[in-house]
Amino acid sequence: MSLISLEMILFKIAFALCTLSVAGYLLSLLIKKVALAKISTWVLAIAFGFLTVYLLLAVISSTGFHNLGPRAFFSFCALSASGVYLALQFKTKTRLLGAFISPFILFFMIAAAGQETGKSLLPEGLRSWLTTAHLTLTIVGEVLFVLASCAGAMFIIQNGLLKHKKLSSMSRLLPSLGDLDKINHICLLWGFPVLTVGIIAGAVFAGFTWERGWPADPKIIWTFSAWIIYGFLLHQRLAIGWKGFRMAVVSCAVFILFLLSYVGVRFCFTTLHDFI
Amino acid sequence: MIVLLGVNHKTAPLAVREKIFAGCEEGKDLFSLLLSLKGVQEILYISTCNRIEIIASIEEEKTVRSLFDFLAGNGNLTQAEAAKCLYNYQDKEAVRHIFRVASSLDSLVMGETQILGQVKEAYRRALERNATGTVLNRLMHRAFRTAKRVRSETAIAVNPVSVSFAAVELAKKIFGTLAGRKILLIGAGEMAELTGTHLISSGAEDIIVANRSQSQAVQLAEKFHGEAVSLDALSEKLIEADIVISSTDAPDYIVTADLIRKIHHQRKNRLLFLIDIAVPRDIDPAVDSIDNVYLYNIDNLQDIVDENMNIRKKEALKAEAIVEEEIMRYANWLKELEVVPTIVSLRTKAEEITQAEMEKAASWMQKFDQEEQEKIGILVNSIVNKILHTPVSVLKEESSEVGSTDIVATVRQLFRLDE
Repeated sequence: MSLISLEMILFKIAFALCTLSVAGYLLSLLIKKVALAKISTWVLAIAFGFLTVYLLLAVISSTGFHNLGPRAFFSFCALSASGVYLALQFKTKTRLLGAFISPFILFFMIAAAGQETGKSLLPEGLRSWLTTAHLTLTIVGEVLFVLASCAGAMFIIQNGLLKHKKLSSMSRLLPSLGDLDKINHICLLWGFPVLTVGIIAGAVFAGFTWERGWPADPKIIWTFSAWIIYGFLLHQRLAIGWKGFRMAVVSCAVFILFLLSYVGVRFCFTTLHDFI
Repeated sequence: MIVLLGVNHKTAPLAVREKIFAGCEEGKDLFSLLLSLKGVQEILYISTCNRIEIIASIEEEKTVRSLFDFLAGNGNLTQAEAAKCLYNYQDKEAVRHIFRVASSLDSLVMGETQILGQVKEAYRRALERNATGTVLNRLMHRAFRTAKRVRSETAIAVNPVSVSFAAVELAKKIFGTLAGRKILLIGAGEMAELTGTHLISSGAEDIIVANRSQSQAVQLAEKFHGEAVSLDALSEKLIEADIVISSTDAPDYIVTADLIRKIHHQRKNRLLFLIDIAVPRDIDPAVDSIDNVYLYNIDNLQDIVDENMNIRKKEALKAEAIVEEEIMRYANWLKELEVVPTIVSLRTKAEEITQAEMEKAASWMQKFDQEEQEKIGILVNSIVNKILHTPVSVLKEESSEVGSTDIVATVRQLFRLDE
């Protein structure tokens, strides 16, 4: 069996497992049974394993990380999201968070499945270990931000239920407010430095390659504003003491804003970062 | 047959239960007395604050009367009183009752967890006295299995049905873990104390008692190894606290929305859970509109408890189905047990015939050597076992069906087992 067909099999298995775990998570929300979310977490962990092996093989077959194709790139986004989520499960037992984050993981997997194989993602002039570090770290940083916002969305729901004095089955199913706030805190705390290093890597590469400095690229502006707001949120959290409900609302609002502006940037402008 | 006689909180008032309890426990060797009654083969005695019950395996129905008189006599009850209070279940009904008791379906608070321990303790006492045998041992093991299934397959014991436990559950939904949380008790009421105790046993660490009367505060604080303060230090202590339970008889609000707003920044917007169990209320309902502050009053908690009780009632239906399933299993086993004497007789008869025939053949078998003789013996036994295998299996299978007595009688007649 050739390496490429083995890669395909691994990718397909990971895709199927991801779909299964999303279905499991959503069903657990519907039937309000946390046991199903626990099983889905295991399924996702297995999918993570397959995806890791797939990416390792992809790196080997494309002779280097920066030569990876777009399918491997989107798979890497899915891998980061599931990896960060699974790592968080060691800190807090918030299985239901998976119901919120797993659709994003599946979205990345669908995007990956729709890409051609064999072609390199990065244009010729952008292939370097710096751009690889830049891409990897910005993705992980943004994934952490997505998780912080998912925890925020769950906080808003749980807060609403508890304020209405109803200890309903949904309230019992969702994690506690304390745990959700903790996730928001951890994700901001880790996400900001990761994104910072990622942006620096990109800037250093740009500095070496283009000499003219930063071009006014919409995606650069988008990432930079994400970084500033990220930093602002972290500052408010650590220094001013924003916690709980306010933090959840702001995280969610910022996330929606970024998602919309990303879609706008992606489809309305031509940028240096057209490959993502 | 199996019988169960007794009284519980539904059939007898506390005074009657007390009388029977006193009569039964009064320095008597209860097991010897019960086992000495004519026809009693096995016995088990359960006594809790809500019930006194005797379960017995007896030879004939007449013995039920002796057991009935025994309980009535111990409680000094008149015949009329006894007839009104004592219940008497037999066979399947008795099995159903003990299964329901062990599964906490017959308890005052349905789904409570204590009863199973009490039934296990009663069984342990009976075992120590060798008062139980095949029938009751199996019955009790089945009862424990039923209780375990009910606990794991239904949500009957999941949601709390007392106000103080509902408060603990809410605290866990707000904070996640209660480890390291600080509790502030305003007022030293009994209910606040109970809730505080549950919170501490669930992991909360520090307790502060603020009360108008300093001596009462000190007394309660000492009990929890906590700190006692006067009501003047309230706003300062509210900054430290995570969970506040208020139960004073003050006519006005002690904790106002302005006070909470003022200290909220100093608390660094930490989550705050306020429980107001005072009537009239101690905490201004407007505090609930502040972010990260969750206020529950006694009515809110009671609503949760009522809702949980309804859930338990729904789950009880599932539990009853499990009980029925287990009754069927036990009844089948009991039926199988009834054919055991016939199977034993059948095997004994076959063994006797084999033995006799082998003895007769001993003289001509001498021409064979020892090894060959043993082989013939094995062959004969094997033929007998094979012939008996089918009737024994059919007997066991049919024993669980209705009308098994017919097949037992037929087998006994066919093989002349009663001669």
